[in-house]
Amino acid sequence: MKDYFKYFDKLTFILLIVLALTGILLIYSAGFSLNETNYLKQAAWLLVALAVFFIVFSLKIDFVFRNASAVYLLLLFILALQILAGHISAGTKSWFRLGAVGMQFSEFIKIPLALLLAKILARYPLLDGKVFFELIALIALPVALIILQPDLGVSFILCSFIPTIILLKKVRPLILVSSLMLAMLCGLVGWNSLLKDYQKNRIISFLNPSKYKTSIGYQIIQSKIAIGSGGLSGKGYLKGSQSQYQFLPARRTDFIVSVIGEEMGFINIAILFFIFFVVFYRQFKFNFQNDEEFYFIYLFNGLILFQFLVNVTMAMGFFPVLGIPLPFVSYGGSSLLSFFVGEAIIFRIKINNYLT
Amino acid sequence: MYPNRKKLSAAYIKKATSVSAVILVIIFLGIFAAFWNIQIVNYEYFRRLAIQNITRSIDLPAPRGLIVDSKRAVLSENKINFTLYLVRENVVDMEKTMRLASFFSAKKNDALRAIIAKYKKYPQFYRIPIKTNLARSTVIFIESRQEEFPEFVIGVEPTRTYPLENCAANVLGYISEITEAELNSPERHEYSLGDFIGRSGIEKQFESYLKGVKGSQVVIKDNLEKIQKVESEIKPLIGATVVLTLDLELQKFVEGLFVDQNGAAGVVDLRTGGILAMVSKPDYNPEIFSQEMEREQWLALSNDPRKPLQNKFLQGIYSPGSVFKIIMALVGLQEKIISPATVVHCSGSQDFYGREFHCWNLSGHGTMDIFSALQNSCNIFFYNLGKRLDIDTIARYARMMGLGNESGIDMPNENKGLVPGSAWKMKTFGQRWFPGETISVAIGHGSLNVTPVQLLKMIATVALRGRMPSLHLLQRIERQGKKIVEFPPAFTRVPIAVENFQVVIDGLFRCVNNGGTGGSAAIAGLDICGKTGTSQIIAKENPNYKTLTKEKRFMPNSWFVSFAPKDNPRVAMVVLVENGGDAGASAAPLAARIYKKYFENERLF
Repeated sequence: MKDYFKYFDKLTFILLIVLALTGILLIYSAGFSLNETNYLKQAAWLLVALAVFFIVFSLKIDFVFRNASAVYLLLLFILALQILAGHISAGTKSWFRLGAVGMQFSEFIKIPLALLLAKILARYPLLDGKVFFELIALIALPVALIILQPDLGVSFILCSFIPTIILLKKVRPLILVSSLMLAMLCGLVGWNSLLKDYQKNRIISFLNPSKYKTSIGYQIIQSKIAIGSGGLSGKGYLKGSQSQYQFLPARRTDFIVSVIGEEMGFINIAILFFIFFVVFYRQFKFNFQNDEEFYFIYLFNGLILFQFLVNVTMAMGFFPVLGIPLPFVSYGGSSLLSFFVGEAIIFRIKINNYLT
Repeated sequence: MYPNRKKLSAAYIKKATSVSAVILVIIFLGIFAAFWNIQIVNYEYFRRLAIQNITRSIDLPAPRGLIVDSKRAVLSENKINFTLYLVRENVVDMEKTMRLASFFSAKKNDALRAIIAKYKKYPQFYRIPIKTNLARSTVIFIESRQEEFPEFVIGVEPTRTYPLENCAANVLGYISEITEAELNSPERHEYSLGDFIGRSGIEKQFESYLKGVKGSQVVIKDNLEKIQKVESEIKPLIGATVVLTLDLELQKFVEGLFVDQNGAAGVVDLRTGGILAMVSKPDYNPEIFSQEMEREQWLALSNDPRKPLQNKFLQGIYSPGSVFKIIMALVGLQEKIISPATVVHCSGSQDFYGREFHCWNLSGHGTMDIFSALQNSCNIFFYNLGKRLDIDTIARYARMMGLGNESGIDMPNENKGLVPGSAWKMKTFGQRWFPGETISVAIGHGSLNVTPVQLLKMIATVALRGRMPSLHLLQRIERQGKKIVEFPPAFTRVPIAVENFQVVIDGLFRCVNNGGTGGSAAIAGLDICGKTGTSQIIAKENPNYKTLTKEKRFMPNSWFVSFAPKDNPRVAMVVLVENGGDAGASAAPLAARIYKKYFENERLF
C-alpha cells in the first residue's frame, strides 16, 4: 500500500483535480447571472468521479482488458435501445435516466472502444486491409449509433482514434487511399440522410458567420469578442460582460474557455493550458509492460488531446461548433466520469511498471 | 508478469515518445500564439466590440411645453403613452416577427413593411416605432414574455393630449410626425425620424419654444435588450409653457353659441390687443393627430366641405358686405367728400352709369345723413359716396384699416384677403377699372374679400379712435416658471382724424341702440356700438353648398362687428355666421350674449 502511494503519479492527479475545480469555478460564473446551480451538480459529479477513479484504479489491468468487449457490447445495446425508445415516444427516453441525474451513455463508450482497439493493435504487428477495416468497423458502429442519438460531438471525437491508429501503425498507402475514399462516401451519404438540418447549419455557419443572434455564426463572433476583450488580465471573476449578460452562448460547456478568457485574461488562460500541457506530457511519457497498454494510453491520450484541441479552436472560431466540451473542465457529469475512468486505467498501468 | 507480450522495440517507443512530444509542443505553441493574437494583439478591437454589445444610447424624448389660457387653465398637455418598438438586430425569423407585429399593432403587413423601410439607413439596433398608444393589456403581455420576442421593446413616452377635446382646436392646432423630406432640410436638424412637430395654430407658431430639448441615456443592456443599469443620463428638458391671452370660460361660451351653425367669432381685449376668444366652427379634436390616424379618417377631415381643419377666423375668405360701410364713412369724412351735415335721399333705388342699383330697403329710407346711413345701413347713401370717390383712394384707406393684408396676429397661415384696385384689375384681368365696380365695392361687394380677423382689427381700431392694436394670442412664454418672452401691448396710429372716428362711432351706436339694423344686439346699460353685414353669396361657390338644405343654401353670410362700451371701450368682437341670413337676426344676438357673459364675468355689468 505504501508502494502504491509512493509510485502513484501524485502531480498529474493533483493537476487533474485542479482542472476539475477550475471547471466548477467557471461553471459557477457561467450560471451566476441566471442563478443557476449547475456548479453544485458538477461538484457532486466530481466526488462520484473520484470514487469511481479509485475503484477502477484498484482493478487488475488484465481484468479490465478482458471485459472490454462485454462492456462495449452492453453500451452499444443501450445506445440502440435509446434510439428505438426515441422512435417510439419521446417520453420513454427518460427510462434511461438514473433517477434525477441524466446519463449520457455515448460518453462512456470511448473507454471500452479504446481498450478493444488497443488489444487488436497489439495482436497484429502489421495492419493489413482486413484488420484495418475491422478496427474501422469497431469505431463506425458506435459512431453511427451516436449520430442517430443525435450527438454529433461525441461521434466526431471517437473518429480521432483513426488518425492515432494511422500514426502508430504502418498502414499500406492503398488501404489509406481506399479508406479515405470510403470515408468520403460515408460522409456524403451521412450528410444527405443522417444529419439533421440544424446539425448541417452548425457546420456550414462556421464558414459563414452571421449577424443574427440565434445563429451559430453569431455565437462564434460573441465567443471571440469574449476572449479578445479579456485582454491580459481579464475583466475580473463574475464581471465579464459577455459572460454575465448572456452574449456568450453555451458558457458552461462548449465555450467555457471563453469565460475564463474574458474574466481572467490571457495570464490565466496560459496557466490553464500549461496545466493541460504538463498532464499530456506526463501521460505520454511512461514505461509499460505489454503492447496493449501502450496502445491504450496513446489512443486515449490522443482522444483527450483531440477533444481539447477541437474545443479550444472552436471557441476561437477556427472549427465548427459541434458541441464538444473541454475535458475535465466543462459541465457534464458523464464526460467528467468517463475521463476519470480512462485516467484511472492509465494511472494503474503506470504504477504496475514499478510494482513488478 | 507478461514476459512475451512486449514486442514493440525500444527504438519504436523512443520515436513514439519524441514524436508525441513534438506534436504536443507544436499544438500548444499554436494555441498560445492564437490566444496571444486575439487577447493581446487585437485586445482594443474586441474590447470595443464588447462595449458596443452592452451599451446603448437611447434618446429621451422631451415632453412638449404646456399651452394654458390667461388664467392658467390647461389647454394642451402630455400624457403617458406606450410605444411598441422593433429592434431589427434581434429578429430571428422575419416572417414570425411580422406576424407578431401585425398582431400587436393591428396593422397590415404592407403598412408595417412601409414603416420599417423608412428606417433602412438607420443602424440595426435602432428602435423603430411600430405603434403608439399601445393598449395596456398588450404592454403587459409583451413585457411578461419579453424573452420570447426580444425584437420588441416597449418605450414609455409622453404624447400630446388636449384635455378639452375640440375646445379651441383651431387656435391650438395639432402636431404630427415629421416626414423624411422635412428631416433633410437644415432647419430641422434637431429632429429625428419619429419626432412630432407642430403643424398648425399655436403648436406650429411656437414650435421652437414648445418642443423642449431631448435628453439621452447610456444604458448597459444584456443580450435580450433588457436594461441592466443606467450608465449616464442627460435629462430631457420640458418645452416652455405658452400662456395665451385666451379666456377659456369665454372661449367655451362662444363655442357653445354655434349650435348647429358654422362660422367664426373673435373677441379682443382693447386694452392689450390680446385675443380673449377665437372660434372657428366646425372644429375637430386635435388629439387624433397625436395618435396614428387612419387614412380614411384623414381624408374625411380634409375633404369635409365645411372645412373643420381651417381656422376660418384667420383663413376664411368672405365678402364683408355692409360692414365695409364703416370704412367708406371714414374715407368720405377724411377725404372731406362728406361731412356730418351731408344728406342723401334714398328712394329705394338709383341709377348709376346706366344701371339701376337697389337699396336693401326697396321702399327707401328717405333722407339720410352719415349717422342714419350707418344706423340703417342705407346702400343708396354709400353708392353716392362711392361715386364721388375713386377705387384707389378707397383701397388705400381699406389697407390703412388692415384689409388686404395679414393682420399680423401671432398665428401661422393667415390669409390676406383682397382689396381690389385699378392696378390689381389690370394685372389680373388685363382690363381697366370700371366706375360701376366702385359702386358695388362701396357697400362691401364686388371683388372685395376679407378674413374675420381683419374686420376685428378694423373695428378695434375704430373703437380706439384710430389707435390700431397688434392682435395677439400670446401673453408670455415661461420656462421653469421664469418669463422668457412677453407680448407687450402695442398700438399704431392710423392717419385718420379722431373726430371722424367719433362720427362713425355715433352712427354705430345708433345702429344698435336707436332702432338700427343691429338692434338685436342692444343691452340696456351697455353702450354697444356695432354694424351688421349681410353678404350675398353665389350659391354654387358656397363651400357648404352640398351640406345645406335647399332654403339655407342661398342664405347670405351674416356679420356683426361691434365694440363696447362706446366710451372707454373694453372689448371688440366679430361674429360671422355662415348662411346666417339676416345679420340683425342671427349674428347680432350672438354678440349680445357674448357681451353679457363678458361683462358679467368682469363684474362691470
